[in-house]
Amino acid sequence: MSASPAAVSGATPAAPPRPASPEWGRVRAGRRTADKVLVVGCTVATALGAIVLGSILLMLIVQGVQGFSPALFTNVTPGPGTEGGGIANAILGSLVMTALGIVVATPIGVLAGTYLAEYGRASHLANVIRFLNDILLSAPSILIGLFVYTLMVRPMGGYSGWAGAVALAIIATPVIVRTTEDMLRLVPGTLREAGAALGAPLSIVIRSVTWRAAQSGIVTGVLLALARIAGETAPLLFTALNNNSWFSPNLMGGVANLPVMIYQFALSPYENWRQLAWAGALLITITILGLSIVARLVLSGPKGR
Amino acid sequence: MSATATAAPVVGQSTADESAPVRLAVKDLNFYYGDFKGLKNINLNFLDRQVTALIGPSGCGKSTLLRTFNRIYSLYPEQRAEGQILLDGRNILDPSIDLNELRARVGMVFQKPTPFPMSIYDNIAFGIRLYERLGKADLDVRVEEALRKGALWDEVKDKLKQSGMGLSGGQQQRLCIARTVAQRPEVILFDEPTSALDPISTGRIEELIEQLRGEFTIAIVTHNMQQAARISQFTAFMYLGELIEFGPTNRLFMNPSKRQTQDYITGRFG
Repeated sequence: MSASPAAVSGATPAAPPRPASPEWGRVRAGRRTADKVLVVGCTVATALGAIVLGSILLMLIVQGVQGFSPALFTNVTPGPGTEGGGIANAILGSLVMTALGIVVATPIGVLAGTYLAEYGRASHLANVIRFLNDILLSAPSILIGLFVYTLMVRPMGGYSGWAGAVALAIIATPVIVRTTEDMLRLVPGTLREAGAALGAPLSIVIRSVTWRAAQSGIVTGVLLALARIAGETAPLLFTALNNNSWFSPNLMGGVANLPVMIYQFALSPYENWRQLAWAGALLITITILGLSIVARLVLSGPKGR
Repeated sequence: MSATATAAPVVGQSTADESAPVRLAVKDLNFYYGDFKGLKNINLNFLDRQVTALIGPSGCGKSTLLRTFNRIYSLYPEQRAEGQILLDGRNILDPSIDLNELRARVGMVFQKPTPFPMSIYDNIAFGIRLYERLGKADLDVRVEEALRKGALWDEVKDKLKQSGMGLSGGQQQRLCIARTVAQRPEVILFDEPTSALDPISTGRIEELIEQLRGEFTIAIVTHNMQQAARISQFTAFMYLGELIEFGPTNRLFMNPSKRQTQDYITGRFG
């Protein structure tokens, strides 16, 4: 900026004359205004988002806390027209199906993500899988519900917790595939070369070096997938549905779960049902919030300790 | 030979032993990155228990050449080598060669330290466990031996269970050297091992290489000509994928026979 064109071309060996310092106040008023408009615009947009989110949370806490009582965690959901009741069966049902779903999705997701990052890389097959996975990642969850309904609920002759768990696993898998691949790609290639240079086959390098290096990222992906399926409603509507009593230990028949319970109870004419729906909604929110915080802590935690 | 050494006291800490047996022989080697020819007709011998430095300007193919000796390039499908590289008379470019076994014989230390995300002990034990089944006591002995040869034992003996990532850059690089030494290879390749380190750490690595020469055949790529002069017995000067000149380090530095070598070592280009 300060060098004159003559100095750049290097025609004269003598030092170029120093250009006069520019005047103050060269910034146009229009530019200052544009700057302020952008700052105000961004602030207002952020505030709007925060207010909406804050009011949802506030409403949830105010309405939900009223429903919190020991009975909430010990009693099963009440029948129509009966007083009191809790959501113990829905909590347990959600826990069981979410756990089953994540147990199925984690090995499939981590292994598939490892294939994409370590073996497939830029191959045609890997690109096709990556594309399909991205589609699955953004597929409406109600479609997954319908898919599992056709595949499991109809042939098995009824709703079941198994079908619910499978639907949740299908939703969690692409999330885990994607984060696993992304996290493995962040591992420097020199680490893989160093493993190979010691005469380690790729499988051992992956197991003992690359996975370890990407460990916290992969765990975070699983936790985020867990948070995602903990609140899924549509796929359970077609698969596990609901139940106002304890579900059978073999998970056949309707299995109570928080999201569908909230959906049904919130729309009901019964005051105590609506109260339970608020309490359930708050419980799910706290769980998801907790999972997200844990995920963040895992990711930002000290590496390699 | 001793006459050359006395004539050039500043170059090379020890005399090149030109009668040492050939450990690694490169014959008519060509190397391709896809369509680009990275190495052109290289012929070069690496002698037993001698340090051979590969020097030359960036992009001249010195790292490419080094990476053929343990065939680490074959991690990348678009790279291929043609010709012969004989390790104790066996052609390692032959498709029947077991790559992992080859790499246990020809160790490599990289430019950036590459400690694995595991304890210091496990970093060393990793390579040993791949090829040997040892009891705890034997493994402990081997780990200590390797860390001693890597000039790191005294600094880490009380924290073997701590992560290798917690060490300083220079310590990490010595950990990587110890890890390579632990496998008891025949040849050790160094790819600019000190270019990411401070001068003091660099000095320690150079001393270490000098000590390791008693046991291993060493090839080192370096950007630093003073370093090549300090630690090597033989030097190969490369330019644009070709081997321009090869010979005992003190002769090559004091009395180069090629014009390009002369220009490079006097700093006229590169």
